[in-house]
Amino acid sequence: MNHIPDTVNLSRMHPVGEPDKPILRLEAIRKKFGEHVVLDDVNISLKSGEVVAIIGPSGSGKSTLLRCVNMLGPATSGRVVIGDLVIDEAVPPTAQQLTQLRRSVGMVFQSFNLFPHMSVLRNVSLPQERVLGRSRKDANKRSLELLARVGLEDKADQYPARCSGGQQQRIAIARALALEPQIMLFDEPTSALDPELGLEVLAVMQELARSGMTMLVVTHEMNFAETVSDRVIIMADGKIIEEGASREVIRNPTSDRAKRFLKAVKDR
Amino acid sequence: MSDIAAFWLDSLPQLLAGLSISLQVTGAALAIGFPLGLLLALGVQSKVKAVKLPSLCLVEIGRGAPALVVLQFAYFGLPQGGLTLSAFAAAVFALAWNTGAYTSEIIRAGLESVPFGEIEAASAMGMLPRDTLRFVIIPQGLRVAAPALLGFAVAVLQATSLCFAIALPELTSNAYMIGTITFRYMEILSLAGILYAAICVPATIAVGVLEQRLGKHAL
Ligand SMILES: Nc1ncnc2c1ncn2[C@@H]1O[C@H](COP(=O)(O)OP(=O)(O)O)[C@@H](O)[C@H]1O
Ligand SMILES: [Mg+2]
Repeated sequence: MNHIPDTVNLSRMHPVGEPDKPILRLEAIRKKFGEHVVLDDVNISLKSGEVVAIIGPSGSGKSTLLRCVNMLGPATSGRVVIGDLVIDEAVPPTAQQLTQLRRSVGMVFQSFNLFPHMSVLRNVSLPQERVLGRSRKDANKRSLELLARVGLEDKADQYPARCSGGQQQRIAIARALALEPQIMLFDEPTSALDPELGLEVLAVMQELARSGMTMLVVTHEMNFAETVSDRVIIMADGKIIEEGASREVIRNPTSDRAKRFLKAVKDR
Repeated sequence: MSDIAAFWLDSLPQLLAGLSISLQVTGAALAIGFPLGLLLALGVQSKVKAVKLPSLCLVEIGRGAPALVVLQFAYFGLPQGGLTLSAFAAAVFALAWNTGAYTSEIIRAGLESVPFGEIEAASAMGMLPRDTLRFVIIPQGLRVAAPALLGFAVAVLQATSLCFAIALPELTSNAYMIGTITFRYMEILSLAGILYAAICVPATIAVGVLEQRLGKHAL
């Protein structure tokens, strides 16, 4: 893709705070649906600019975990720490905490979730106006920059229904980035897409990773996990069963459960 | 035949005056009733009991009581409680309540048709619930509800004929008045029917077209 800006720009896009100090910590996250334990003592720590892929069989709690991070579905217990923001999952957050959390963390869903009654430009600008208080003019300017970044500035005046799935997902990424999050969560962003369309979304995510964005990505794309992410976490039955440098984890898993999962994926 | 034409021509001004009042009552009842329906749709879904219970009462009574009863209550009943309404005001009161109660259900179904994922995405971006309601849920919900709402508007115009019972000089009352004087009920009521149809049939066709249009632009 030819829309990837030069590296000088990239380094300024997502200013890295203190290197090595975690930007996001998930501590002892546990979640039950009734008696059913879906997340069992999950601990994850992300450094600024780090890209971590979470893989694992369906139903292992990956989506549930992401939804704990931004409190879309709070956990039963555990803590989420982002800088000086400390969220106790068991306690309803204050409005101010929730605002700070949601501003710090952007999320991209499998189903895009664009607003179909608004133009692409409105989709990206409206949240900036309502959440950040930007003027319409400033918001539109930022939206066009980000649409250009995901290669879709010419779609600004279209409606989402006129865009392909891959384009819609790139718009959803631009919409989330427009709110200047510190961390981006992705929940199987390419699972609803044909492989080719998935590739254009993955290319945007790769560019985002290179630009220094901190990313937690639930994915089935082994290639992305292996080549783009710094670390891979394998989850099964609500637990982390394996984690480490991407290539290591994917090529040489140690646990039987992880081996079985990776074999199943490769044989697919 | 030319006899009927002459009779119709003679009666037309009075019927048109009646039709004008029917349309005014309809317009006023909708102008109050649709927003009321939206408020009641939101009120019924509210988690606050002090909002939810009164909303439920207004909806259930509005839907449960025949419009004619509410109309007579407003015109003949309220003065007993010290509130005297003109026939026009009583008609608007009753039909607006009726409209609000029925359309609250139509609108609620529209609001509920908005995909939960969009609401979640808005929430994940830090949009406040009231902003999500205003910019995401209501515009889409009303669009879904629009054909049914316009269909209901046609029904309200027809329901204005009930105002005959409180002597509001609307289309049906005026036709009936001419009938009592001339005893040509069949001819005059036919003409009244034609006038109602002249508005309702095109409106119904427009609803169909709108339904198709909205269907086409949906995802
Ligand atoms: N709202 C819910 N109510 C009850 N159980 C749920 C709910 N959401 C998810 N689950 C259960 O939690 C487990 C983990 O689900 P999920 O996080 O969606 O897995 P994954 O994203 O890894 O496929 C599954 O067993 C699922 O059935
Ligand atoms: Mg999932």
